[in-house]
Amino acid sequence: MSMSRHDHYEELISASLSGDLSDSERQELDAHLDSCDACRATLASFADQRRIMAGLRHVAPPRDLGARVRTGIERGAHGAVPWWRRPAFAFAGLGGGLAAVAGALLAIVLLNGSPDDPQVGGGSESPVASVSFAPASSTPAPTAAATPASAEPSATPAATPTPEIAPEPDAYLAFTGPYDNLALMLRDGETGEPIGPLEATGPPIAAELSPNGQFLAYITQRGQSGMNEVWVTHVGSALADASGAARVDTPLAEWQTVRLGESMADSPFLEHLSWSSDSRLMAFTLTDTGGGGTDVWMYLPASDLPHQLTTSGNAFNGSWVPAPPSDALWVSVAGQEPTSYLLSFEGLATLPQLADPAESSVTAPLAGVFQPLLSPDGSLAIYWDGVMARAEGGAWAFLEGGAPYLAEARAIDDTFDFVNERPLFGDVTIDRDAFMDAAIVWGGDSDAYALWRPRWTGTSQSADGEHPNFDRVYFGHASDPRGLTADHAIDEADFPQGWAVVDVKVPTTRHLLITVLEPLGGDLATPLADLLLVTRNTGDVADVVENLAGADADGWFGPGAYDAAWETTAP
Amino acid sequence: MVVPGATRWVEPVVTNRAADREAEFARIFEEYSSPIYNYVLRMVSDPDRAADVTQDTFIKAYRKLDTLTDAGSTRSWLYRIATNTAIDDMRRRRMVSAVPDDSPVFTNRADDRPGPEAQAMASTLDERVQRALMTLRPNHRQCLLLSDLEDMSAQHIGEVMGLSYAAVRTLLCRARGEMRKALAAEGFAR
Repeated sequence: MSMSRHDHYEELISASLSGDLSDSERQELDAHLDSCDACRATLASFADQRRIMAGLRHVAPPRDLGARVRTGIERGAHGAVPWWRRPAFAFAGLGGGLAAVAGALLAIVLLNGSPDDPQVGGGSESPVASVSFAPASSTPAPTAAATPASAEPSATPAATPTPEIAPEPDAYLAFTGPYDNLALMLRDGETGEPIGPLEATGPPIAAELSPNGQFLAYITQRGQSGMNEVWVTHVGSALADASGAARVDTPLAEWQTVRLGESMADSPFLEHLSWSSDSRLMAFTLTDTGGGGTDVWMYLPASDLPHQLTTSGNAFNGSWVPAPPSDALWVSVAGQEPTSYLLSFEGLATLPQLADPAESSVTAPLAGVFQPLLSPDGSLAIYWDGVMARAEGGAWAFLEGGAPYLAEARAIDDTFDFVNERPLFGDVTIDRDAFMDAAIVWGGDSDAYALWRPRWTGTSQSADGEHPNFDRVYFGHASDPRGLTADHAIDEADFPQGWAVVDVKVPTTRHLLITVLEPLGGDLATPLADLLLVTRNTGDVADVVENLAGADADGWFGPGAYDAAWETTAP
Repeated sequence: MVVPGATRWVEPVVTNRAADREAEFARIFEEYSSPIYNYVLRMVSDPDRAADVTQDTFIKAYRKLDTLTDAGSTRSWLYRIATNTAIDDMRRRRMVSAVPDDSPVFTNRADDRPGPEAQAMASTLDERVQRALMTLRPNHRQCLLLSDLEDMSAQHIGEVMGLSYAAVRTLLCRARGEMRKALAAEGFAR
């Protein structure tokens, strides 16, 4: 992606129009223009363009603009503060176990799902069907809208109840400090204490710990360039756990950070990092700066080398399949009919570079399957189907009939297939109206999953006019035959208008860890994001939301990351 | 020890702080409301949305006025708020409809425009340029508007967009290249 001489002169021409050339650059450009017709034409074109733009008609603002601003100011700033950031005393008197715990704001919120909702998932510990809840500050009494505990489960119960495991992340990222000196830090998930510095910079939007807890892969936003950057930091033994997972020998020093490349922002299909179960390989997807090529890359901590796995220009990283003695990787190719291929690296001395992933697939290509995400135990998969297209300068998304599906993942006679497929959403009809994309993550129990940031192209599929809703997190369970419905969306009131979900993790069958972003404030201060741990409860017991970084902390907190222990303790 | 004049000085400063703040905000609104509205209008291509975004921009600016310590940064600061608020708005709109930001029709408001014939010519030209602008990626559009409509230097654009000087020059060059193609598609020569 180095700049050609021609690109260099185009940039000088562009900069010359706004007076941004140094004297030496001016001389260099003038000399070049004397001998280059193409660049003289570019200069004329850019200059015309600037004249056209400068000549655009000036439109008078509405006459009542000043009055509207004044009204907005007088309405007060408090409405813009989300309930979980308001002072704890605001909740005093609501009763029912309100407490500030360890400096964090602990807010009790109430279930307001329909009393007729059946339960989701199985077992006596399963949460109620509706995960929507309202802020305490706007709900009069804790018993008002609770779902009766007597509601009949509609799904086959899970075989064994999920053991109690701590839902707090092993670690989370914190991007804090003065505006001109923001620093990224890894913090302990339980105590919030700093663990170590991350050399990367920029607000983090995705993070995945290697299963052995030794490496952290993460994605940050690069200003407003429309691009993300992908990084890995060797966190050493700071997060070594009792799982006994093998360490990987690496030339990286502890807390050394490696920049792996960049990718276009705002596409959930690109913001996806996958570690193999032995922590030896991390698959990710990069795009070139013009968005022209999308390819799967691998990072090998043992050699500290990023490796471009595909060169087809339309390939995406899916997920790893547990296939002893080493994992195999699902890679998907975007297009009119997206197709997925399973790649194995067993026995290879070096990783291949594939112009066409089809040639190396160890299983029959799966047409109509895009970016399969396997549950941690490998038994289920969520993937996409539909017709994909790439907008010029944009990322791939579904153009027609796009939707996520849930299926069982089966190994049959040396081949893998997805069977008993059903739409992930149970209450939307996919035809001309469909999804463009959404972010999806599995829970550690291989039953719970979350979906957020759905981009729906059609009219609302619910009476309230807001389903599927880009702002909301949908929390479902594979064992729930209804799939995802409007009732599975977390209540809009939890995230005030303008707050946006950045990342979600599902540590247990009843917990969500959500990174939620304050609307771009526009001042020159630190961007704000909060890390919320949501505990769902059943019956008339209220849900609990905890702001992990504390109500008073200013900064960008999250995403959280977990090592493999939370998966291996699930049934 | 008695410090002559101390009381006389302290009280007026405290008393006038709120009034100073109001006066400062009134001055900022007077100077920038129209340019900000036009910038946002070109960003979102819808007069009602532009009015909403401009309104939110100034409400945020009022609330954050205390963080503006250097009056020389007012313009960059305000455009940054407007840019971020417009991005928020576009981000939210995208979730309602998958149709990208190229569909809204750029309509004209009644104001002190010239006669009907010139008006038709002007609006046609305007609409074509606006259509071309809306085919650009939002960050390309921002960058181009800040440079060519607002006449900002690369350094000021960097302050608004949170990018380095070098990154702005590269981004701006790409934006001009894209705009060149988009204008050609609208029938502009060269």
